[in-house]
This record gives sequence, structure tokens and C-alpha cells, in this order.
Amino acid sequence: MKRLAILLALALPGAAAAADYTVQPAASTLGFSNTFQGESFGGQFSQWTAAIRYDPGNLAASKFDVEVTLASVKTGDNDRDTALPGADFFDVAKFPKAHFVTTGFRQSGGKVIADGTLTLRGVTKPVSLEVTFKPQAGGATLDVAGTVKRLDFGVGTGDYADTSVIGGDVKVTAHLQLAPK
Amino acid sequence: MSLRSNDRQWGSVAKFFHWVIALGILGNGLFGLLMDLAHSPMQKINWLALHKSIGLTVLALALLRIAWRWADRRPPDEPMPRWQRLVAQATHGVLYVLIVLLPLSGWWFNSVTGKPLQWFKQFNLPALVAKNDALRDLAHGVHEYLFWFLLLVLVAHVGGALKHHVFDNDNVLRRMLPFGRLHQRNPSEGDQP
Repeated sequence: MKRLAILLALALPGAAAAADYTVQPAASTLGFSNTFQGESFGGQFSQWTAAIRYDPGNLAASKFDVEVTLASVKTGDNDRDTALPGADFFDVAKFPKAHFVTTGFRQSGGKVIADGTLTLRGVTKPVSLEVTFKPQAGGATLDVAGTVKRLDFGVGTGDYADTSVIGGDVKVTAHLQLAPK
Repeated sequence: MSLRSNDRQWGSVAKFFHWVIALGILGNGLFGLLMDLAHSPMQKINWLALHKSIGLTVLALALLRIAWRWADRRPPDEPMPRWQRLVAQATHGVLYVLIVLLPLSGWWFNSVTGKPLQWFKQFNLPALVAKNDALRDLAHGVHEYLFWFLLLVLVAHVGGALKHHVFDNDNVLRRMLPFGRLHQRNPSEGDQP
């Protein structure tokens, strides 16, 4: 196994070169936006961790692994912030965390797309994120954006499934300030 | 019956505004008081959305009504003592103010709570003021008590109309009724209903 890894590393010179980064939490955000009764609102998670390995020249060796503590959600509205962790939405008592891990990266029309799986509320489904990576002095910024269909994951069930009141397509965005490990 | 009012009775536009707004504001007021009967939070959200939509409709109709009343002629008052005329006019004035203030206070209350304001899922209206949790209870109280006040003034309005109808047997109520037939005090005048 070890020999194979060395052989692979030699065969794919970039493979071992994809850089590992640490996220600087104070300058990073992870959140979403959706609509309620025709008005858009935004939410932010204050507790999450992300393991980022990324090299734009070596996407095959890149990987994102993100874990979000769902109870840390804030949307600027008390009623909403009380409802979201409840059983009808995130159900944090049973499913405290959401997990996104990439399965691969691809180029699409000049953009980099990160394909992965999202596990949310006990459901695992594919989710793709658009990646914007900008190297800068002392690290990089990484922006990702994608759409999560909340009903695929049973977020807002029963009465709340009415997408004419609560939008079905939730836009997820994250801005990460990265420092080399 | 003509669209415009004439010397004998209110026109169909004035009657339409009067009765539709009456029905809208009373129905929506009672609906508002029953909000807590909703059996789920989502049902309450939907009920409130309907309540707000109806309220906005009443507000739009009230403004149109005031514009129409300003442009339309109106039948002169039926013969009655001066004090009755003054009380009737004051009552009408207060009712006009209330049918505008009641929905406006709801809009204000909604703005203070920071909730969206959507008209029958068609379009959104902006907040009147910034979200302010400290004003929430006050705004709720103002909105609700304006309705109770409206009911109080309505007792005088309806009471006066019925008094004229039943005891004075004049046209005060008849000339506003949707299909009312006027007493012909002078048949040769030949008002065409």
C-alpha cells in the first residue's frame, strides 16, 4: 500500500502537492439565503469546521470536508431562529451536524465545480458547488456557492413543504480565508 | 342605478365601496382576533398572510373611495335635526379615518416585527419603519384597539341608520342599500332605481 502511494506520487507529480489550508474563522463565513413570503433572507452558521486541500492545477488531489453545527444558525429573526433547529426543520436533537465532502472536481465553462455529497437531516445526496479560488499573499480566499433543494433533505416538512411560502431552492455560500498549514 | 350619486341616492360606485369595505374590515377584524385558533405555526403564517392581504386591499379600496367621494356629487342629507346631522357627520369622519388607520397600523405593526408583507403571494410591499422589537407589543395593541374603537363608532353609525330607517322611515339607509327602493315622497320626481 505504501509502495503504491509512493509510485502514485511519482507518477502524478502534482498529487502530493495540493496544499492543505487552515481556515481563519474570524474572516470566514458559511451561510445560506432563501425566500420567505417573497422576501429573501440570509442565515449564517457560526460553528463549522472545514478541512481544505486545494490546488487549482491539481484538482484530482483536492478535497473539501466540511462539518456544520446546525444549532448555530442565525437568520436575524427570532421566530425563524427558534423554528429552524426544531424537528420540522434541521431536527438538531437527532441530526446535530451537516456534513459535506467532495467526491471530485471538474472544469465546466471556465469554472471549477466541486461535486460532493451532503448529509443533512439523515439524508445523503449529491450537491455541487462552484469554486472560486484566489491565491493571495500569505494564503488564499476560497468562495463556494451552490443550491440545495431543502425538500430533498426533508428540511421543512409537512405544512412547511409549501414552497410558495418558504422557497425550495436554498442558496448556500461560503467565504473562506485560508492560511497555509 | 347610475355609477355616480345623484340628489336622491348614492351611486353604485359609492355603494360598492361602502359595502365591500364594510364587509372587508369587519370580516378581517374578526379574522384577526381569531388568529390564535390556528392549529399549527404554518397555518398561522398562512392566516396572517391572508389577513394582511385583505387589509391591504381594504386600504387600497379606502383610498380609492375617498378619491371617488371627493370627485362624486353626493345626495343632500335627509331632513333631520341639526344635532343629528353633526353627529352623523362626525361619525362618518371618524369612520373614514379608521378605515385608513386600521390597515396602516397593521402595516406598521408588521414592519416593527420585521416580517415580509406580501399581497396574495403576488408582490411585496416595503416596511414603513425599521424592525424594532421594543415596539412590538405597542404596535399590536394599537392595531387591535383601533378595531375595537371602530366597532364602537360603528354602533353609532348602524344605530343611527336603523333609527332613521325604522323610526323616521326616511331614505337614509335605503339610499345606500345595494338594491334599496326609495320612498317616493313625490312620485313625479321619478327617481329611477
